[in-house]
Amino acid sequence: MTATVAVEKVGMTYTTVKGDEVVALQDISLSIEKEETVAIVGPSGCGKSTLLRLIAGVEKQTAGRIERATDEGQFVVGYVFQDSSLMRWRTVYDNIKLPLEVLNKRNYDKIDELIQMIGMKGFEKAYPIELSGGMQRRVSIARAFVHEPSIVLMDEPFTGVDELTKEGLQHELGTMIRRRHATAMLVTHDIEEAVFLSDRIFVMSRRPGRIVEEVPVNLPADRDPSMRSKLEFFEAAKRVRERLLAMHAMSVDLEAGAGAP
Amino acid sequence: MSRATIRRRNRPRLAGYALPILSFIVGIALWELICRVFKVPAFLFPPPSAIAQIYFTGRIDWVGQTLVTLNEALFGLVIGVAVGFAIALVITLSGVLNKILMPYIVALQVLPKVAIAPILYIILGFSDTSRILLIVILTFFPIVINTSTGLADVDRNLVHLLKALRASDRTIFWKVRLPNSLPYFFDGLKIGVSGALVGAIVAEFVSSSKGLGFLILNSQYTFNTTAAFGAFVILTVLGLLLYAGVILLGRRLMPWYRPN
Repeated sequence: MTATVAVEKVGMTYTTVKGDEVVALQDISLSIEKEETVAIVGPSGCGKSTLLRLIAGVEKQTAGRIERATDEGQFVVGYVFQDSSLMRWRTVYDNIKLPLEVLNKRNYDKIDELIQMIGMKGFEKAYPIELSGGMQRRVSIARAFVHEPSIVLMDEPFTGVDELTKEGLQHELGTMIRRRHATAMLVTHDIEEAVFLSDRIFVMSRRPGRIVEEVPVNLPADRDPSMRSKLEFFEAAKRVRERLLAMHAMSVDLEAGAGAP
Repeated sequence: MSRATIRRRNRPRLAGYALPILSFIVGIALWELICRVFKVPAFLFPPPSAIAQIYFTGRIDWVGQTLVTLNEALFGLVIGVAVGFAIALVITLSGVLNKILMPYIVALQVLPKVAIAPILYIILGFSDTSRILLIVILTFFPIVINTSTGLADVDRNLVHLLKALRASDRTIFWKVRLPNSLPYFFDGLKIGVSGALVGAIVAEFVSSSKGLGFLILNSQYTFNTTAAFGAFVILTVLGLLLYAGVILLGRRLMPWYRPN
C-alpha cells in the first residue's frame, strides 16, 4: 500500500491578535493509505479541523512535514463541511459542477452519475433553499467526489442532522467511498460515526491537539447498517470512548485542582 | 415533497393583502369625512376628492413635471449606484485604500446631506450637474456599505474549498464574492431608491424652476395646498413603483434568494 498522505511531526501554532501564541496541534504523525478511510475523534477545539486544513493545503503548518502522493498527477482534495456550505446562487447541478470548473475538467457526465447516485434525479435545477437539510448534505457529498480527488476530507459532515437521517447518510457516504475507491479522512466527535465509516480511528487530546491512541476497526470493508450491532463495532467504540473519557476525567481533575485553595 | 409544493408554499397569499388594502381605503374615507364634517378649508388640508380633481384642471403639466423629477432621480441613482459599486470593489480589494477612503465616506454619510445642497450650487452653479451630484451623494453610500459587506461576508468554508482546489483570488472573487454580494447590493439599492427621490426634490427646492419639488415650493407661495398634496401623491406612487421595481428585479436576478 502507498500512503496518500503522510503527516510527520506536524505542529501548528497560531499567534492571536493580542500576540499570544496558541499551540493548536503538536507533534502529529499519521499516514493515510490509498483507498483507506481514517477518522480523527476528539473533543471540541482540539484542532481537528485545523489538521484537515493543513492536509488540504489551505494553511501551512508551523512544524513538521506533510507528504502528499502525486502519482496520479495533481494532489487534489474533496471537502465536505459541517453545514453543507453550498453556493446558494447555484443549482444542485452547478454546485456539484464547481470542482470540475475550477480544475478545468470537462467530464460533466460525472455530475449526472453522481446525482443519480445520491438519489436526486429531478432536482438538478433546484436551488439549495428548496432542499431539505439532508438533501443539501447529499449535494455537498457529491461535490466532494465529482472530480475524483486524491483524498476526501470531511469535517463533521453530519452535525445537526437528526439521528435516522444521519444513519442513512452515513451508509450512503460509506457506499460512495467504497464504490469510487476513494481515500478519505473524517473528523468527528461522533464515535459511532467514526467506527461505522473508518478503517482506523485516531483519538486526539484536548488542545494542544496530540494523537493519543490509534484504534483499528475490525469490520469488513463492505459495511451496512446491521454492523452497528456487531461485537467488533462495540469494541472499537468502547476503546475510543474510554480513551476520551480518561482524558475528560483528567481535565476535570485539573480544573478542580486549580480551583482549590 | 415535490419542488412545486415547496415553491407554492413560499408564494404570498392573496388574503395577506386584503387587510392592508382595506386599512388604506378606510383611512382615505375617514380623511374625506373629517374634511367635510368639520369644513376644513382646502388651503389648510384638502380632502382626497379635491386632490383627485387637481390633476384634471389643466393648469399644471403633471406628466411633464413628474418626468423631470423622475429623470433626475433615475439618472442620479444610476450614477450613484455605479460610483457606490466601484468604491465597494476598491475598498474590498485593497485594505490600504479602504483605510484611506473610509474617513471621507463616513464623514459624508454622517453629514446631513441636504445641508450640502446650497453649497453645491455656489460651487457648481445652478446646473443639472449640481442637482445630479446631490442625488449621487444621497444614493451611493448604502450601495457602498451593503455591497462591500456582501463581498467580504462570505462562507469561509467555500473560500477554503476553492483554495484547496488551488483557485486564484480572482476565481474566488468571481465565483464566491461577487454572487454572494448580490442580495446585499439589492438591499442597498432599496435604500438608494428612496434617497434618489429625496435628492431630486431637495435639489429642485434649492435650484430649479421645474419638477415636482419646484411645484411643491411654488404651491406653498401661492397657498395652493391642494397642488402640493397632488405632488405628494405622485411622489408616493413613484417611490412605491421604484421600490417594487427593485424588488421585482431582485427576484428575477436572484431566484435562489429569499429573505429570511
